[in-house]
Amino acid sequence: MDQSLIAGHAPTPPAARMENHGSSMLKVAMQSGHDLFARTGSMVAYEGFIQYEPNAPAIRQMASQWLTGEGAPLMKCSGDGLLYLADYGADVVCLNLNGESVSVNGTNLLAFDAHLQWGVERVKGMAKFAGQGLFNVVVSGSGWVALTSRGTPIVVDCGGGEDETYVDPDALVAWSSNLRMKGKRSFKASSMIGRGSGEAYQLGFSGQGFVVVQPSEDSTDRLRARG
Amino acid sequence: MSREFQRGHKAKITDLTAGTDLYVGVQIGGSGLSFDISCFGLDARERLSDDRYFVFFNQPQSPEGAIQQLGAQAGDTDSFRVTLDRVPAHIQRLSFTATLDGAGQMSQAGPGYLRVVAGGVEVARYSFTGAEFSTERAVMLGDFYLKDVWRFAAVGQGFDGGLEALLKHFGGEVMEEEAPPAPEQGAAPVFAPPQQASAPPPSRRPRIPARPGTGGPARPPGSAAGPGLPAPARQHPAPGGPGRAPGARGRHHGGAHRAPGYFSGGQTPPGGVASPGGVVPPPPGPPGVPGRPGVPGQPAPYAQPGAPTQAFPAQQPYGQPAVPAQPYQAQQPHQAQQPHQAPYGAPAPGMPPHGAVGPVAPAVPGVQAAFERYREAPNGQRWTLQNPKLVRVDLGADPQPVLARQGSMVLYQGKVEFGYKGAGFMGRIVGNATGQEMQLMRCTGRGQVFLADDSSHVHPIQLENDAICVSADAVLAFDESLHHEVRRIEGHGIPGGALFTMQFQGTGTVVVKTHGTPVVLPVTPTTFADSNAIVAWSAASQVIVSSQVRLRRTSYPGHSGEAVNLQFRGAPGNFIVVQPYEV
Repeated sequence: MDQSLIAGHAPTPPAARMENHGSSMLKVAMQSGHDLFARTGSMVAYEGFIQYEPNAPAIRQMASQWLTGEGAPLMKCSGDGLLYLADYGADVVCLNLNGESVSVNGTNLLAFDAHLQWGVERVKGMAKFAGQGLFNVVVSGSGWVALTSRGTPIVVDCGGGEDETYVDPDALVAWSSNLRMKGKRSFKASSMIGRGSGEAYQLGFSGQGFVVVQPSEDSTDRLRARG
Repeated sequence: MSREFQRGHKAKITDLTAGTDLYVGVQIGGSGLSFDISCFGLDARERLSDDRYFVFFNQPQSPEGAIQQLGAQAGDTDSFRVTLDRVPAHIQRLSFTATLDGAGQMSQAGPGYLRVVAGGVEVARYSFTGAEFSTERAVMLGDFYLKDVWRFAAVGQGFDGGLEALLKHFGGEVMEEEAPPAPEQGAAPVFAPPQQASAPPPSRRPRIPARPGTGGPARPPGSAAGPGLPAPARQHPAPGGPGRAPGARGRHHGGAHRAPGYFSGGQTPPGGVASPGGVVPPPPGPPGVPGRPGVPGQPAPYAQPGAPTQAFPAQQPYGQPAVPAQPYQAQQPHQAQQPHQAPYGAPAPGMPPHGAVGPVAPAVPGVQAAFERYREAPNGQRWTLQNPKLVRVDLGADPQPVLARQGSMVLYQGKVEFGYKGAGFMGRIVGNATGQEMQLMRCTGRGQVFLADDSSHVHPIQLENDAICVSADAVLAFDESLHHEVRRIEGHGIPGGALFTMQFQGTGTVVVKTHGTPVVLPVTPTTFADSNAIVAWSAASQVIVSSQVRLRRTSYPGHSGEAVNLQFRGAPGNFIVVQPYEV
């Protein structure tokens, strides 16, 4: 069989713990003793000996706030091998935290090293407005985190001046966790009679740091839809 | 689909794509740094023997047009169009270089890449980061070179000294006839750069690769281009060398910014549409035909033995980096140095302050380094394409409002108000009746607004007192100064009696969104488009409905399904935009 046309997609040897394979697939070099938390159902392929524990007690405890009544949407992966993760063709961004701390929207978190410190927070004042509720995961420490973004994301610096940065909550991916956050309603009476601008609610960020935004306002959790 | 290259990797162009009309995009940047991207057309001895093949900001194309510099577009800092089969025989190597303009050093550069695009599809990408370099002022990014067939090599070789030193490296010595090059290898120059993929030397010293063909000059590494070298006083007679460039240079930058998108600037001439938007059609090669005649004895099996990049050695322990350039293990010391881990929400101790990312050598681990390629584009114009799917409008300089599709704002900075924009009573009736209805909001105030919709590609089209027809579904935003109205295309055989479109007229910018990378076709006597896939066309072209309803065929179940086609007629200079998605 002539495979020359697809041979270019063979994996390159891993050079780091997490790497992109193309724009929308994540390749993780797994080592035993070096576990990984990944979104349940995000595994597309693996090579080697990797085991998955969908509802590890440690996760259940940490993510108890995440979605009431259901298991945490994370699984623990351990073993040796190469693990490929993807989320319905979304772009993948790998971050190598170096003692830094990042807040990630729950639906945009793909995987992270298990030795990182993490916790689930509910975005203040948001859950009432956005349909599925907005949860963010704060990850800090030194290690690798992978995010997903529908389309090429953009990173904007919050200047820290008087101009705050306002983000559509559906397009928000991640932000540096030292930013101050507040909700802003732009409801007007006219919105009630069908004359809204389509931008009813925004999150305002102020302080020194960055905000990552995706060019799509579709924030439905595709991996959960599978059940 | 893109193939990732590491430093030192090489491949035949024919293995990457069947086309020879290639787009080469370079992205490189860093806070406070500005780069000049140039292409050196070198001869068999890797000398710039013909000045006309030094393609840079002051000489944007080679004499026969085989190498053209296209400027910044599609997210690339700079881009070239290379037509390999038009490159003359004495040019055997095209070397793409990036040189720093102004202060700085390569280690301050953020992550970047050099990519090769054929027919709108990226086929090769070589990514690099500034951390691979140290105090160099230039870098040779990648080469196309002729060795039996054209090949691509990811070079990634740092170089001391700027553009001038690089020019001297490639050609200055030839002018002075000092050290005549001795091609030991005979007539056929064999390129063999150091095998960096297998054993990258640990030193980051700028080295000039001891190529067999040019080993003759025997210039000691480092001194050839070192800044301390007493440079020959004679100027290299390259046309418009870097010494007398500043005037033209500013013009170049302005020009590059005026045309950021595929087809901004209104009426794109037919010659100008050879842009990465999929317009450069690869020659009809025989893809998929086993045993191609042009490539004898190259079945290119999966995991070729000759290409170490593709064969994953099974005996190698997982996670062991094959390329020790950025080892994963390098993060372990970091962990050791930081036993104190920040509690949630506390300011991260390791996070570099903003604005200070450049001067400190950017450590590869770190959020800022990973995000460098997604940074906000610099300010300047009213409409800026941030990346193929995001557009930014700056409401600062020009206070006139912008109308945008409702809900398309993803982020804004500053004081911006979003208000409802009604179409008016008549507008709603017309909109309802024709299907050309736009749910708009008015953005007013002062600040920057980022607009995107469902991660579709966006394209700002600048109108200069002319007109364009856009399907109302494909409009993302436009300046309020533009006049828009619903226009009717008449024709027989259209279900519903007629087609409607939205026509924009005046001076300003319309942002068109497409699903996928569109194709921009010049209007010729035989230009047809599917009425469902057409997105926009210049209003000066005439639209004719050519319905191919053939009764005998449609009665079969397997008919072509293409019932209504639109034919376009017009003077040269008109264009149509078609998306790869039929609504």
